[in-house]
Amino acid sequence: MLLCRTTPLDELNLWALGGTGLVAGILGSALGVGGGFLIVPILTLALGLPIKVAIASSLVAIVANSCTAAGMYTKARITNIKLGLLLETVTIPGAIIGGFIAAIIAPSILSAIFGLALIYAAYTMITPKYLTSEDNLSTDNSIAPNSTTDNLSGSLANSYYDQNLDKVVTYKVNRIPAGLGTGFFSGVLSSLLGIGGGVVNVPVMHLIMGVPMKAAIATSTFIITITAAAGALIYHYYGHIYPFIIAPLAIGIVIGARIGVELTQRARGALLRRIFGVFLLIIAILMFLKTANII
Amino acid sequence: MNNRNLKESRLSNWVSLAFRLGIAASLALIIIGIIILLLTSGAEDIQPLARLDQMPAATVISVGILLLLLTPIIQVIINIALFSISRDRLFIGISVAVLCFAALSLAIALI
Repeated sequence: MLLCRTTPLDELNLWALGGTGLVAGILGSALGVGGGFLIVPILTLALGLPIKVAIASSLVAIVANSCTAAGMYTKARITNIKLGLLLETVTIPGAIIGGFIAAIIAPSILSAIFGLALIYAAYTMITPKYLTSEDNLSTDNSIAPNSTTDNLSGSLANSYYDQNLDKVVTYKVNRIPAGLGTGFFSGVLSSLLGIGGGVVNVPVMHLIMGVPMKAAIATSTFIITITAAAGALIYHYYGHIYPFIIAPLAIGIVIGARIGVELTQRARGALLRRIFGVFLLIIAILMFLKTANII
Repeated sequence: MNNRNLKESRLSNWVSLAFRLGIAASLALIIIGIIILLLTSGAEDIQPLARLDQMPAATVISVGILLLLLTPIIQVIINIALFSISRDRLFIGISVAVLCFAALSLAIALI
């Protein structure tokens, strides 16, 4: 089913594909931005792959990366599994719909939409008052997990041990309908652009739903695993999945993610994020130029 | 409170195990497939379309990719089992809904 397809693609460079995954994995895990924002532009701009093939490949690589990270986060009990499952009820349908939309719209429009998403991602990297890695909880959000305020909200309340703060952080989850609404949108974006959707999930969970930053990142990673998988399956239906493209990409991104975690410990996160943000802006410009057939 | 913590801990442990085993098995298959590809074809002149001599490598890699995409779905099934044991009807329902949507995407892919 995945093997024999006629294609206009040229010869593949396995090392370039592996290197792409490696860089995406390192920067993705070091900076908390999914690898899709790097993988898709590199595959299209540098390696010349059609954008729909690049998006499909990116989604599978993201599944590999997020499953690796999700395994670690759930083991550390940071992930809010119940919240993740609840949001998946909307992100997966969003991803399915996003996949179908991507199949019918022109590649140039996809490139342009991707460029806009890159600008937003760059903004989140560069803006100094954007989400920090420290959890600054308001006191009224710290509530025991066995709250009786609301059945669902009470079920979603959770706690985890924060090593940096050296204490147990407890929180409740608010504004669930808003989270569900934006969750659907993040699913559509994920499948449409070949990104994880964390760029939407994390701010929504943290800023709107009141989930501490680390738990939001961990839960977003959990959500991305199945959301990206659903999107990738839709791309497979349209014949955009190529094993020889995906294999080195997936291996590279998993190795890169491990390295990225080490870098996070040692590098100055804020400076890295700003440099990466500028880099994303440059890539956005290149994507628009490609859309306009200037390059 | 302690009972809830124990349930959460068990859930986290099983879900974590599912992810780690799934990713390990799928990556192992993908790496084996790449090794077979390099041994049969070398790193030069690899096209997206598999030639006859590259079919074994393509098959192994394809199975690895399929297992990778199934890993998140398998962890949802594990969640359903654990919520059933703890009789959490609300999240049995939510997990079943997630599984149905995921199964829909899988069914579409296999058409």
